[in-house]
Amino acid sequence: MAVLWWATAGALDRQTIAAIRTDASALVERHREGGTQALMDAIDERLAVDAENELIYLLVNARGEKLAGNLTLWPTALGEEGVWFRTRIQHDGATAEARIHRRDLAGLRLLVGRDESERVQLRLLLTEGVAWSLGAVLLFAVVGAALIRRALQQRMRPAVATAQGIAGGDFSQRVPISLQDDEFDRLGATMNTMLDRIAALMAGMRGVSDNIAHDLRTPIARARAKLEGSLVTAEGEEGLRAAVEEGIADLDNITRIFQALLRIAEAEAGARRAAFAPFDLPAVLRDAAEFYEAMAEDRGQRLEVEMPEHLPMLGDRDLLLQAVANLLDNAIKFTPDGGVVRLTAWQDEAGIEIAVSDSGPGLSPGDRERALDRFFRADASRNLPGSGLGLSLVRAVAQLHAGEVGLEDALPGATPPGLKVAMLLPPP
Amino acid sequence: MPWVLVLPFALLSILPVQAYANPRISTESSEYCEELFARLAVSPLPVAAASRDLGEEGRRLCANGHLRTGIAKLRRALRASRVEARGP
Repeated sequence: MAVLWWATAGALDRQTIAAIRTDASALVERHREGGTQALMDAIDERLAVDAENELIYLLVNARGEKLAGNLTLWPTALGEEGVWFRTRIQHDGATAEARIHRRDLAGLRLLVGRDESERVQLRLLLTEGVAWSLGAVLLFAVVGAALIRRALQQRMRPAVATAQGIAGGDFSQRVPISLQDDEFDRLGATMNTMLDRIAALMAGMRGVSDNIAHDLRTPIARARAKLEGSLVTAEGEEGLRAAVEEGIADLDNITRIFQALLRIAEAEAGARRAAFAPFDLPAVLRDAAEFYEAMAEDRGQRLEVEMPEHLPMLGDRDLLLQAVANLLDNAIKFTPDGGVVRLTAWQDEAGIEIAVSDSGPGLSPGDRERALDRFFRADASRNLPGSGLGLSLVRAVAQLHAGEVGLEDALPGATPPGLKVAMLLPPP
Repeated sequence: MPWVLVLPFALLSILPVQAYANPRISTESSEYCEELFARLAVSPLPVAAASRDLGEEGRRLCANGHLRTGIAKLRRALRASRVEARGP
């Protein structure tokens, strides 16, 4: 609106000012060339051909006597200062607006102006038009804003109702998705995905809490019973010492379980992703193999290693070493004497695979689905030492590196089928 | 103290009243009409018939009291004669 006003009413003003300035400059030049008489003639000539009847001139001498022009007297409203004025004149029996420019010459004072009555009328019309347009625009804006607000409220209502329900404690609520497939539906779908994820995490937390309560209560109760029994049955200082050492070992075992749980939680939270650094994977794997080779030899097993000379990757070296150590520990533990354990690593377009295979009894399909859960222990392994957290850490480490863990038979069709646990990591 | 309330009005009444008279356009008279006609008549170059007729009509309108229209026609006649004098 301001631009419209500037381009119409403002343009009229600028046009008038430019015309007056040019006219006054021409008259001053005429005076300089021909003197006062030439200036008076020029004014009379201009007035004589003013068919539009809009020119205003007044030339007076130093005493204020009129020499030429069509104004009866010097406007008393004009001050001594300034060169541009707006004043009122009597024109054709009516009061009219006039814009006046004053020039002082040697012993003379000159007024050059224009009757602006028609321009004032036009400006009033423009003002009226702009005011009506502004009113219409405001009306449309208000009505449009109200309609958009109403439509937004209507589309947001299901999401708001769902959020209120969840705030009220009902986590089963989900945002209903319409068939429009617009931004609101995408927002609702994202909210639902988020709520599903939160529900899964909460279920996981609940499961972990239950597992901790269940799996730690047993060793704590066992340690307590042993210590209590030793108080009654231990013979002499040696007996008591042995009982205390056994209690300390039990407590160390509980501490290890806690440490494993914390490490899994840390990996799952992704907090260590900031500490990712490049390293050579085979060097890490060979360290782990060297450490477990002696353990395998003790059981008469053979540990085979197959991997390229170098395989650069970006990740958490310590956690990967811990995950591979867990896999080797499991494989050696479940492989019968004389069996074979294989540690392999290779890379293709799909990514990096780190796998540990054994020739042990393997896992049934049902057990494989739960093998990566915390504290899961297959029935066949209940009598073996372990916390059921090893594969959970492997999965957490794989997920930390944006990968996954796969379980399959190491020797499909053979008896026993063995087990192959593979960490599939994306390419660096 | 009612005089306190009256005081401002009393002060206003003794201040000089500045009444500005608006200047008037002086070229709205039968004398100016005659002046324009005379200016047309003494034109150094021959005036075309159309301009002369326009000037006559303006003078007649002025004589009948239609000063504004008459002066406008005389001015148009003068303008036309100036254009004719300058040539095409």
